[in-house]
Amino acid sequence: MSSWKSLLLRIGDKSPEYGTSSDFKDHIETCFGAIRRELDHYGDEVLPFLLQCVEQLPHKTPLYGTLIGLINLENEDFVKKIVDQTHKSFQDALNTGNCHRIRILLRFLTTLMSSKVLLSTSLVVVFETLLSSAATTVDEEKGNPAWQARADFYISCILSCFPWGGAELVEQVPEELERVMVGVEAYLSIRRHTVDTGLSFFEDAGEVEKTLNEKDFLEDLWGRIQALSSDGWKVDSVPRPHLLFEAQLVAGKSHEFGSISCPEQPDSPSTPSGITYGKQKYDAELSYPQRIRRLNIFPSSKFEDLQPIDRFVVEEYLLDVLLFFNGCRKECASFMVGLPVPFRYEYLMAETIFSQLLMLPQPPFKPIYYTLVIIDLCKALPGAFPAVVAGAVRALFEKIADLDMECRIRLILWFSHHLSNFQFIWPWEEWAYVLELPKWAPQRVFVKEVLDREVRLSYWDKIKQSVENAPGLEELLPPKGGPNFKFSTEDDGEKNEQHALSAELYNMVKGRAAAREVISWLNETVIPKHGFDVSLVVIVQTLLDIGSKSFTHLITVLERYGQVISRICPDQDKQVLLISEVSSYWKNNTQMTAIAIDRMMGYRLISNLAIIRWIFSPENIEQYHTSDRPWEILRNALCKTYNRISDLRKEISSLKKDIVAAEEAVAKTQDELNAAESKLALVDGEPVMGENPVRVKRLKSYAEKAKEQEESIRDSLEAKEALLARALEENETLYLSLYKSFSSILTERLPVASSVQTLQDLKSINPTDTNAMDLEEEPAAMDMDNEDSRPEKSQVNGGTEHAYTVGENEQWCLTTLGYVKAFSRQYASEIWPHIEKLDAEVLLSEDAHPLFRKAVYSSLRRSMDSI
Amino acid sequence: MASLFKDPSKLSVYRDRRFQGTQDEFEHALLSSTTVYVGNMSFYTTEEQVYELFSRAGEIKKIIMGLDKNSKTPCGFCFVLYYSREDTEDAVKFISGTILDDRPIRVDFDWGFQDGRQWGRGRSGGQVRDEYRTDYDPGRGGYGKLVQKELEAQRQLVDYGTDSLGSMPPVMSQHGNHGGSHGHGYRHGRDYHHRKRHRDDDRHAHESSKRNSDFESRRNSNHESRPEKNPRFRESGDSDEEDDDDRKQRH
Repeated sequence: MSSWKSLLLRIGDKSPEYGTSSDFKDHIETCFGAIRRELDHYGDEVLPFLLQCVEQLPHKTPLYGTLIGLINLENEDFVKKIVDQTHKSFQDALNTGNCHRIRILLRFLTTLMSSKVLLSTSLVVVFETLLSSAATTVDEEKGNPAWQARADFYISCILSCFPWGGAELVEQVPEELERVMVGVEAYLSIRRHTVDTGLSFFEDAGEVEKTLNEKDFLEDLWGRIQALSSDGWKVDSVPRPHLLFEAQLVAGKSHEFGSISCPEQPDSPSTPSGITYGKQKYDAELSYPQRIRRLNIFPSSKFEDLQPIDRFVVEEYLLDVLLFFNGCRKECASFMVGLPVPFRYEYLMAETIFSQLLMLPQPPFKPIYYTLVIIDLCKALPGAFPAVVAGAVRALFEKIADLDMECRIRLILWFSHHLSNFQFIWPWEEWAYVLELPKWAPQRVFVKEVLDREVRLSYWDKIKQSVENAPGLEELLPPKGGPNFKFSTEDDGEKNEQHALSAELYNMVKGRAAAREVISWLNETVIPKHGFDVSLVVIVQTLLDIGSKSFTHLITVLERYGQVISRICPDQDKQVLLISEVSSYWKNNTQMTAIAIDRMMGYRLISNLAIIRWIFSPENIEQYHTSDRPWEILRNALCKTYNRISDLRKEISSLKKDIVAAEEAVAKTQDELNAAESKLALVDGEPVMGENPVRVKRLKSYAEKAKEQEESIRDSLEAKEALLARALEENETLYLSLYKSFSSILTERLPVASSVQTLQDLKSINPTDTNAMDLEEEPAAMDMDNEDSRPEKSQVNGGTEHAYTVGENEQWCLTTLGYVKAFSRQYASEIWPHIEKLDAEVLLSEDAHPLFRKAVYSSLRRSMDSI
Repeated sequence: MASLFKDPSKLSVYRDRRFQGTQDEFEHALLSSTTVYVGNMSFYTTEEQVYELFSRAGEIKKIIMGLDKNSKTPCGFCFVLYYSREDTEDAVKFISGTILDDRPIRVDFDWGFQDGRQWGRGRSGGQVRDEYRTDYDPGRGGYGKLVQKELEAQRQLVDYGTDSLGSMPPVMSQHGNHGGSHGHGYRHGRDYHHRKRHRDDDRHAHESSKRNSDFESRRNSNHESRPEKNPRFRESGDSDEEDDDDRKQRH
């Protein structure tokens, strides 16, 4: 890499490019020296690279701003180009709704203003344009309030510039700044307060009142900016390198920034109804997502020296590093730990990463990315970070009963994976008390599931060893056993003819019998003699046993003998039996159960509807609140269905592109042919229409081929579109079936609607049937201040006791409602298109319990007003 | 993303000599591939462990374990096939360098699995890197194959006796019989046909856990016993210096 490039890239870092210096002034001067030498000859290379650095290293924006300020003193034209290019990128970003670019470029413009490169009035004009677009959007008459998410986003972009340039603006254009602030305040007074209970991490006590009173993201930012303003716009977390060069920069010529325009918001639905408004609002929120949802893990004492605005700035830095450095482990970790701020921020860093890992509905990256980041930070800050992470785990574990169900699963997956990277070392003895809790207590379930995942990543004995400090926890380990084969020939149990049948099949497979041979054996010998259901059990068990040695063995058996299974499981009823057999064969091994069912769905031996039916069978229902096993299988089925549909969508969109290309090819070959044909040529001295016949013939064949090509693409597009249409229909059936099943089992078990209106009511029902409450202490010790369900550390006989007071049925309802939320939220985009039908047949039917309805509605981010 | 720090030459650092085609075709294959190569695995790691870890990057289509071409047992590498390119990229980005079964594994784009690539390419059947290693790596069969031969030769010269040191039991011990030593802390049921490896300890424990003993014993009798290395030597860290699969070393 050329040296000027690495200087640009590494500016502000402790790096060999800058020798021993870590002084911003030195860095800027050195970099400026290198760049000015290149400008005359390589300006065309410097410009795009510099802008790339600006966009991808937003925590260094002030350094780049100052650098460009210095360049501006010598080469106004070059800097004008930078400004123009930025204008173009910014306008593009607005048009396409590229949130990150809009936000980062606006910050860049602010630092250009601070370095006298940009007229401060130009910046104010940009702010005012955004402000007026936002105000229009939320106006009931002129705009479309469903798109408030975008308006909020614009305002948050304006506000988030102030830490970088508030001080300069107030000095240079105090009145204009005041006008912007007044405008923002006015906007805040007309917009709606965002209530999204469906996306909060915790189901806290008094959830509704709390979210109504709590500031939403924009109100919170506004509060921090107001505090900043009253503090004289001083920010510790933002470097102000332009002050080091103030004397020089003053002489620079400030450029103008042309006007910009914000795209129009889509029209309000012509027939305003709850549903169309809801759909639009949902789309808008997907396009302009909220960047962070704060997760408060640590006590506020950990953040005492932090000004409100510093928290915001550091979060921005961290999120940007996470965004731009995924896949670059070294840089990511070193930028995370080396932010340009004069205070420690490990706790804030941990909260920010966990808030992303657990973010609802989806984190920006797969959870495994944050796992990696946490591992790397533990290695980069071995003295500080591991303890902070452990503290976060403890704090989340304390509140696990209130944590959203989806977040719990992510936490389980993360934690088990994290521990597997650190020799599975954890002070399990701290949590040994979960054994005293009922088997549905969320803390106990959490420990059990973490151990299960650890065993999957490692092996039973190793994990058993890792809980040596709390040997009782061994009880929560998954069973150690292997498969549970009904027709084992080795044991001493009674052998019957089914054993013989199974052995016969074993031999056929060993002898590499073809599937059709097995099928005819089945048709001719087995089914007539033993009946359908017995045959099913023998065939399925035996094939599973043959494929039990590994994932690959399973696949091989299914590929080779899948048809045998389809023969014996031709309809949904039989498929449900098939799944039961799988579950019984692998009853000791949840992972293999899930994998086998997943693969069978992959080979279309079972349908997603059959899986759903089985999930709602009694054997599963009774473990909803004590195990993730049924839920994992349901998750897989929904995920696979979703993946199939999105693959189809991708194929269709790529075919559509191919068609455009093919049409162009057709037009081009046709033009060439026409041109050739219309040309006059001399044949035997006579002028005839048409060029050289050989060429014409060739062109004709090209044109025909191009047409054929186009048609064949159209055909495949049509075929794919038909497949997609069918898949979407099936999806409707799938979700209808899912929600109907949820609704009916919940209505069956939830107390009547009049007695429980909130989850809180559900939690406070005092369990009268304490059959499973194996707690010794007298109830009086517990119902004192047990408004919530958190395990209380109540002093009984001098010792600390943990208790969980939610009864079994109530916990079952809470867990199931939690999963209803999780699934609805995750597949909201797939569910919205079918919402009318779902409303009519399930959600708004009289049988639907209000708590169930509320769970679905809040997860779809749908207004509850219509309930 | 992060294009600034991505080394553009990274994709082409490796060149599998078995790839039939030009450098451009090789790079194109890597850029569009949905297969990853996983290296520096323990011989004991099972497909299900790989599945659990790699499914966190996306839906898995297939796993192909790398096998010793003589013994047909896992020899420390595998291929994972995904359905989507994005998931493949995430596996490379987020899993490479993390720990699986106590070892830092390496995950790279692979140009695509073809039959035959599951076999180790070393002279002795395993991977090339295990041919010349001089360190002791209990997760990968102890010393490198050449060193093992050397030791074996020495052992035949000097008769240590079977029990004298306990540190040098017969290199070949029969799997499935309880003779020889019992590992303490090390696993050595290097047995691909078991779902999970187990140590000799496990089999003693079976008395208390009836759940699967029938199954295990049936399994044991079902396949021929297989020689295995006894990893009872002191661990001396692991080395990823040698390279697998004729790949060149990453710098």
